[in-house]
Amino acid sequence: MLWVLAGRPAIRVAVIAAYVVLVEWSRALVITAPFAATAALIVGGIALMLSGAGWPLERLGIGRSHLALRILGGCALAVVLLLPAAARASASPILPAFLAVPAVVVSIGEEIAFRGALYAALEDLGGAPVAIIGSTALWTAAHALSHPPEFLVAVAGAGLLLALWRWACKDLVGPIIGHVIADLAI
Amino acid sequence: MKRLALLASVAVVYLLAAWMVAPGFYDGFAPQQPYNWVCPPVHISGNLPPSSGHLVIKVINGISDATAAFTDDGQVVIYFNFGVFDATGKSVITVDLRPVSPCPKPSGLTLATNTYLITADAPLVKRSNLKMLYSDIVPAPSTVYLSTSADGPWSSIGANSQAEPFTINTATDRLGYFAAGYPANAVSHGGPSSQVLPIVIAGLIILVLVAGIPVAMIRRRNRNGEAE
Repeated sequence: MLWVLAGRPAIRVAVIAAYVVLVEWSRALVITAPFAATAALIVGGIALMLSGAGWPLERLGIGRSHLALRILGGCALAVVLLLPAAARASASPILPAFLAVPAVVVSIGEEIAFRGALYAALEDLGGAPVAIIGSTALWTAAHALSHPPEFLVAVAGAGLLLALWRWACKDLVGPIIGHVIADLAI
Repeated sequence: MKRLALLASVAVVYLLAAWMVAPGFYDGFAPQQPYNWVCPPVHISGNLPPSSGHLVIKVINGISDATAAFTDDGQVVIYFNFGVFDATGKSVITVDLRPVSPCPKPSGLTLATNTYLITADAPLVKRSNLKMLYSDIVPAPSTVYLSTSADGPWSSIGANSQAEPFTINTATDRLGYFAAGYPANAVSHGGPSSQVLPIVIAGLIILVLVAGIPVAMIRRRNRNGEAE
């Protein structure tokens, strides 16, 4: 489908954006049902990963060059993402063990979807500024059902930081590692 | 350099935004609504008192209606199916849910939730499903305990293996005092588990610094080598 839409970047952006936001909203709604949490998170995460299908890995920001730096960058991003919670460590949540694998799948899925496929499609449409602002806006909208309104500014801040990393370092490995560590830790 | 400065600026913006929301921003699956404690753990600040609940169930043709009773803050929900109560001679059945204060401290058990007294003016004759929320800043409870008195004795009525995140579900054919928890010897009590997070952060900072410096030096050497 992506190849069919390659000549129509605006339609491609609309299709990917609608798909990832729909997946995120569906996941947020289904997760509240009893016994559905793990399955909803894993299926949702895999569905998000599918948005990256058809893109060359380097267009998604995934590669082996400077791998050590990418991994270290991911650790640095995790420090920034976790710092506010760590500063209030006396009240930081504990992730139940059964949610560990789903947390990893969802984190990878979200990065491939938002900073990978959506970013690449938006960049083709209007360049880096459109990709950074657009992916951040859609990331924030996608979290509207899973986070209370007062948290959405912080959600947007995290999205902007990860999108800027993607632009500045042309890298998605760092955001994936940072996101995975952050979601596993809290 | 310009990109690095931009990244640093946005990192500061994020830190400020995340700091301004209480109890701090988490992107994981933790509920953003803090648990309301009767007796908050010592490291909790800004606690709100938990709510009670009240429900009047209609009795239609001698059968109690299907409905759910819950506390106003949603921390406890009990689901009643059709005819779960012995409604003989009644036109309505009243159910009350009340957080118990002072907090029971049963020996040999660690309670991870408030204790709730659930009463009805008719006895249960069938099992009803009970859902209890628990706090995301304490270890997850392994079972739900039931007692006829706040002083005990407490008996485990089990728990479904996997409910919604931060909830524990079970079924009960009796009402009384309910609390979720685990045997006191089941987990270590070396300190709050949430202390893990600062250790994780410290470890990551050390990793970035210790590994970052040689990696940066190698990169610089390679670049200089290419220039020559």
